Amino acid sequence: MRVFKFIISLCRTLALIYFLDHRWVIKGNPIPPLGKFMDPFNGFWRNIEPSNAKGPESLTFPHLKENVTVAFDSLLVPHIFANNDLDLYFAQGYITAKYRLWQMEFQTHAAAGRVSEITGAGPNDAILNYDRGQRRLGMVQAAKHSITALSENQESLIMVEKYTEGINAYIQSLTYKTLPFEYKLLDYTPEPWTTLKTALLLKYMAQTLNIGDKDMEMTNALRLFGPEMVDLLYPDREDVGSPIVDNSGGWKFKINIPDSIPLAVPQELIAVKRLSDHDPNIGSNNWAVNGSKTASGSPILCGDPHLNLNLPSLWYAIHLNAPGVNTMGVSLPGSPSIVIGCNDSIAWSLTNAQRDVVDWYKITYQGDSRTKYLLDGQWVDTQKVVEIFNVRDRGSFADTVLYTYWGPVTYDKNYMPDNNHSEYAFRWMSHDPSSEATAFYKINRALTYKDFSDALDHFATPAQNFVYASTSGDIAMRIQGKFPIRRPLEGKFVIDGTRKANGWNAFIPNEQNIQEKNPARGFVSSANQYPVDATYPYYITATSFEAYRNRRINNRLADMNQITPRDMMTLQNDNFNMKAEESLPFLLQQLDSTTLTPEEKRAYQALKEWNYVNDKDSEGASYFEAWGENLGPMLWDEMENTKVTLRRPTAFTTIKLLKEQPTLSFFDFQGTQEKETAREVIRKAFALSVEDIEEWSADHGGASAYWGDYKDSYMQHLARIEPLGIHVRAGGTVNAINAHSKLKGPSWRMVVSLEKTGVKMWGVYPGGQSGNPGSEHYANMMDSWVNGEYFQIQFFHYPEDALKYTFFTTQLNKQN
Amino acid sequence: MKFLIQFVATLFSAHLLALFMPWYSIAIAAFVMGFLLKSNTDFLAGFAAIATLWLFNALLIDAGSSSDLSERVAKLLTVKYETVLFLVMAVVGGLVGGFAALTGSLLRR
Repeated sequence: MRVFKFIISLCRTLALIYFLDHRWVIKGNPIPPLGKFMDPFNGFWRNIEPSNAKGPESLTFPHLKENVTVAFDSLLVPHIFANNDLDLYFAQGYITAKYRLWQMEFQTHAAAGRVSEITGAGPNDAILNYDRGQRRLGMVQAAKHSITALSENQESLIMVEKYTEGINAYIQSLTYKTLPFEYKLLDYTPEPWTTLKTALLLKYMAQTLNIGDKDMEMTNALRLFGPEMVDLLYPDREDVGSPIVDNSGGWKFKINIPDSIPLAVPQELIAVKRLSDHDPNIGSNNWAVNGSKTASGSPILCGDPHLNLNLPSLWYAIHLNAPGVNTMGVSLPGSPSIVIGCNDSIAWSLTNAQRDVVDWYKITYQGDSRTKYLLDGQWVDTQKVVEIFNVRDRGSFADTVLYTYWGPVTYDKNYMPDNNHSEYAFRWMSHDPSSEATAFYKINRALTYKDFSDALDHFATPAQNFVYASTSGDIAMRIQGKFPIRRPLEGKFVIDGTRKANGWNAFIPNEQNIQEKNPARGFVSSANQYPVDATYPYYITATSFEAYRNRRINNRLADMNQITPRDMMTLQNDNFNMKAEESLPFLLQQLDSTTLTPEEKRAYQALKEWNYVNDKDSEGASYFEAWGENLGPMLWDEMENTKVTLRRPTAFTTIKLLKEQPTLSFFDFQGTQEKETAREVIRKAFALSVEDIEEWSADHGGASAYWGDYKDSYMQHLARIEPLGIHVRAGGTVNAINAHSKLKGPSWRMVVSLEKTGVKMWGVYPGGQSGNPGSEHYANMMDSWVNGEYFQIQFFHYPEDALKYTFFTTQLNKQN
Repeated sequence: MKFLIQFVATLFSAHLLALFMPWYSIAIAAFVMGFLLKSNTDFLAGFAAIATLWLFNALLIDAGSSSDLSERVAKLLTVKYETVLFLVMAVVGGLVGGFAALTGSLLRR
């Protein structure tokens, strides 16, 4: 009996331990292993760092050739001083992993379509479908191709390999106790880092920036609305003015444009749920002014890339110093070197070039088996790739993807049953081998414009507008990427995939890419707008170009003189909404102020008095944005309520058409007897937007809808774990220079003064240097970022100078 | 008195084991002390010892930091308040300690 009691008690205890040592999914909600997770000796409590926590004083590694000094300043920015490149990049890998490992690995899993291994398939298989989409876009193949290209440059290959070694040295040092928080929460462990993961990370950035296209949408529009309407609604070049480079008549090279190609306008309308749309909230600003316009007489360079504002922050600030290199700025955790920053001689920043580098080719199969397809008169074998997904809590899932000469057939009958299974192969510039790591390795070491320009020749994708300034007084802009030489209209519609001649057969030579150096106006700038004047000989198309921010920047820079770094900070935080300035007076004229309800009158008054500035305390901004939110879908309802893949014209074109063609057939509501014009739609949208604001107000205890509250900007945790995100009350809007929308915005604001006596940098980003949500450096820069304040980023040449700023130093010693 | 001895012995031995063993070492400590120092209140002694040990250490970490991670974890585990998180943690550790102590004492009988 006693034995029996003992056994029962033992079983009960062991069962309890087993239960608390494992992760469970209860009603779709994963629960971490509660005992393991909550144990204060090893669990999540150990990720709560003490105030003023410092790192270890010294660590020893067999990988190092010589000792490395890493001095951390009060922002926790590491200043790495090494005696050779190998040790430098080993240290960058180790230190970056120490602060950002979970994020680095998660992003590469997201790139490679492996998130469901960590989280499970998700509600309605959403995460598994995301993963499948990533594989079907050929992300992993693209990353493998870039490894091939990387291997051709010994210096940058070694850089990536040493960086990888550094990350792995950190991973090997981990125990459950020291594991980053998210691994404990989601209950998994890191796998070894590889050079492929670094390549995947860069492809993930490329996907954010250049995977957008509108080929299917335009093809449907062509069939439904006809060519004149396509030209009217979706012009390749909107009449905005202010291109990045205006060199009218100055393009002195002769070009050979091949014959135009037949469009493959298909019989059926394409109905697919697109994976790869470009988000108009993703964009960036950069500019440089030369010494004639600044108070110091030295050039000032500024940059603020607008990307997903996630936590942990996208960027990691770091200072890299070794013989032949001394560079400061922000890096992408998972990739070596500095992406945006300065060295002792130059500074640079990037914005996205927007250009279309994606095409879809119609595949003609032999029969239904899809084993062969037509190419140049021959039946060629399709290649079947079986993608395996090790879905957590479910087991493995297989998906067969067909590959063709052009690329993968992304959408087919195996994927997303609602699609109409149009068979198109996906061609993306980022599928081709290229080594951007080499470009950054060289940019970090560039001393002159020639060095910089030579470095850029290695940069193919995602195409960027590179701004440049130097202590020697030069400023420049170069749009760099690998661009196919397009025939007129090529790239705007889907293309017949039965002939190789219809593909990309030639590319714009680097020296013929759009660029300018030291223009007469005294500044260069870019903000994702149309890149060039009308005399540039190559055909340019894109999903969309920016229409407002760029003009605001150029107007302001043209007016400004005796510029100080502080003036530039103010300009980066400018909330002036040029779209409102150009459209609101017209929109208000369409209302009949005598028939408004009391609420509408109040809104009308707020809008009339509004100064077009999207500050956080503005009510007018909320009314304006709510009006726009309602107006777009109502004007273009033909494109909303359909399964056919279509897209709305841009805001700029919409406003132009409202003013110039108010009786355009599209403005008539579908499904009503009456014939509406722009005026009726604008009024209806106004009424609905006032209702939206009233409803918001009622939900918020009757509070006024100030823009900062109404917008409710939110820094999401990378794994969408709600309690780990942060809400902020901030101004800005996508059309303002401070392009801070709800979830996206300036992910790093940088101002660099290129003084001969030493380069000075100021910067801030929404978050902090530590990726650990239990660190006081997780989001310690957030408030400053919201308020438009900057930190001086300490940059110096000799390790002795670090002493002034050092919070603590970690010595990385070689093993004797 | 016996309770107090078992409580203190479990607490200290569990602390010692926790420094180099996984979380369930608390069960080993409670089990061994239950076996060696059997009282009439084995479950309670084991429960109280581990609950106290965990609570004390978690509070110490939380007090030494300006981070709000414990509040965020409370929201994550849908217990809403930090105080509830502390209690849940104490109960989780306590139950393991209590049942392990009881098992140890039953082996001796």
